[in-house]
Amino acid sequence: MKEPFVETRELSYRYESADAAEPRVLRDLSVTIGKGEFVAVLGHNGSGKSTFAKLLNMILTPTGGKVFVMGKDITDENMTDEEVLALRKRMGMVFQNPDNQLVATIVEDDVAFGPENLGVPSKEIRRRVDEALSELGMSDYATHEPHRLSGGQKQRVAIAGILAMLPDCIIFDESTAMLDPVGRKEVMDAVVRLNREKGITVIMITHYMEEAALADRIIVLNDGRVLLDGSPEAVFEEEALLRSCGLAVPQCTELVHRLREAGIPLDGACVFPEQCAELIMKSLNKER
Amino acid sequence: MSELKLENLSYFHGKGTPYEIKALDGIDLVIPRGMITGLIGHTGSGKSTLVQMFNGLLRPDEGRVLLDGVDIWEKPKTIRQVRFRVGLVMQYPEYQLFEETVAKDIAFGPRNMGLGEEEIRVRVEEAAAFAGLDRALLDKSPFDLSGGQKRRAAIAGIIAMRPEVLVLDEPAAGLDPRGRDEIFANIVRYQESTGSTVVIVSHSMEDMARYCDNLVVMNGGKVVMQGDRDYIFSRSERLSEIGLDIPQVTRLMLRLKEMGVETDGGIYTVEQAVEKMLKLYGR
Repeated sequence: MKEPFVETRELSYRYESADAAEPRVLRDLSVTIGKGEFVAVLGHNGSGKSTFAKLLNMILTPTGGKVFVMGKDITDENMTDEEVLALRKRMGMVFQNPDNQLVATIVEDDVAFGPENLGVPSKEIRRRVDEALSELGMSDYATHEPHRLSGGQKQRVAIAGILAMLPDCIIFDESTAMLDPVGRKEVMDAVVRLNREKGITVIMITHYMEEAALADRIIVLNDGRVLLDGSPEAVFEEEALLRSCGLAVPQCTELVHRLREAGIPLDGACVFPEQCAELIMKSLNKER
Repeated sequence: MSELKLENLSYFHGKGTPYEIKALDGIDLVIPRGMITGLIGHTGSGKSTLVQMFNGLLRPDEGRVLLDGVDIWEKPKTIRQVRFRVGLVMQYPEYQLFEETVAKDIAFGPRNMGLGEEEIRVRVEEAAAFAGLDRALLDKSPFDLSGGQKRRAAIAGIIAMRPEVLVLDEPAAGLDPRGRDEIFANIVRYQESTGSTVVIVSHSMEDMARYCDNLVVMNGGKVVMQGDRDYIFSRSERLSEIGLDIPQVTRLMLRLKEMGVETDGGIYTVEQAVEKMLKLYGR
């Protein structure tokens, strides 16, 4: 196991307005996410995924249990504001609607907003903004107006804004849900690169099975508990279980399962079309 | 039921300003009656602008919109009547809920149509059922509903007007797989039991392939392809070229073809793929 980045211990959450009869949104959730890991979190609407993300980022305070970030107990009441702020700088969050998180009228001002608030010297801000925009392939748009950009470009500006704060971890809360396929791909390419090349820990909440398949590990939440936790291949093998809680598997995974049921020997798990094609070719060649 | 026809329709965003953009460019299109038509295209292709033409929210700069053969802009003062006949569910309609209770929100359209109280009550219940909304929720505040329930409430508000043409812009965006299936199943049920004409705009080619009889593909403000599923998905390479997502199994078939396996185009569901593969294996 890699060095843990965040760890939750019997984490629980109940909305304040909810009466005692309403079940908790999260129930005794214990998970550890390692430094540099790329974890996708799946679950149907109302399974507790977004609440989980907000608890990790200290937007919400748990009603039970503990959260440790880099070994520090963030649920400890004695934490000073400085300590909270220092930890929050380490974790950025990208939300669903790109229009709700851009604040400035020029792209580079928007990216500079975070580091400015952290009191970073202006020369250093300039350097970070340029680097973050270049990292996201948005340098050419530095002086553009954010509202004229496409959805995928807006989300990349939002990510650049977080990157300029030099985080160790970025949480994506359905950040591609409002984008079209092209925009989704732009954002996912950026997410994968930040993880693989910069070693940023990624926690990605999504409804898209194909996006989850890009992660190292998938955690499936159901009724506020962990239902499955493993590699994409292992998780998608559990097709019946996923369906029973309102989720699906990628078409190719489903195809392989159907073919296996029909008696065709196909070894190995499969999530992407390329993998699936290889698998089928191998077995077809054996048959002939 | 009703047929929509667009004749040589063009529309400019920011007409007369330096930012003028031709959003729709000489569109000739028939939305056939009593069918589910899927409108596909990437962001900026003009599809959301196009659907706003259907019910007269936008007025074409050139060309005509015909509802059952009558130009909807013939008498601009009666355009409101067109909006009752062509119901448009916009993207993220749950942001437009505003009333004290779900029932009142659904009743807003019928009330504007000048219907009597009893008729309104009947329609609210019927629409809620069509949208898959539990009756117990009708007296709740719309703001206490979950995301999926809000979406249903918003759709019910349009269905309550019993539109002859129901247009939905990304009705399933942001919902989980089960929520998506349920919304689409409700739309299909509405179409089948009322015989209405339905138009669905979506990015999800897998959903489009499952639910739409007729597909229209837009690119750069023009209609570039129209036809049934088999026709459209047999042109997957072209769909990819214009930046559209094609279903995973369609991509698999293209990949197998590259590897020298004999496959035919037009495979877009898992069932079709299973059938095709079993044949290849000689079973």
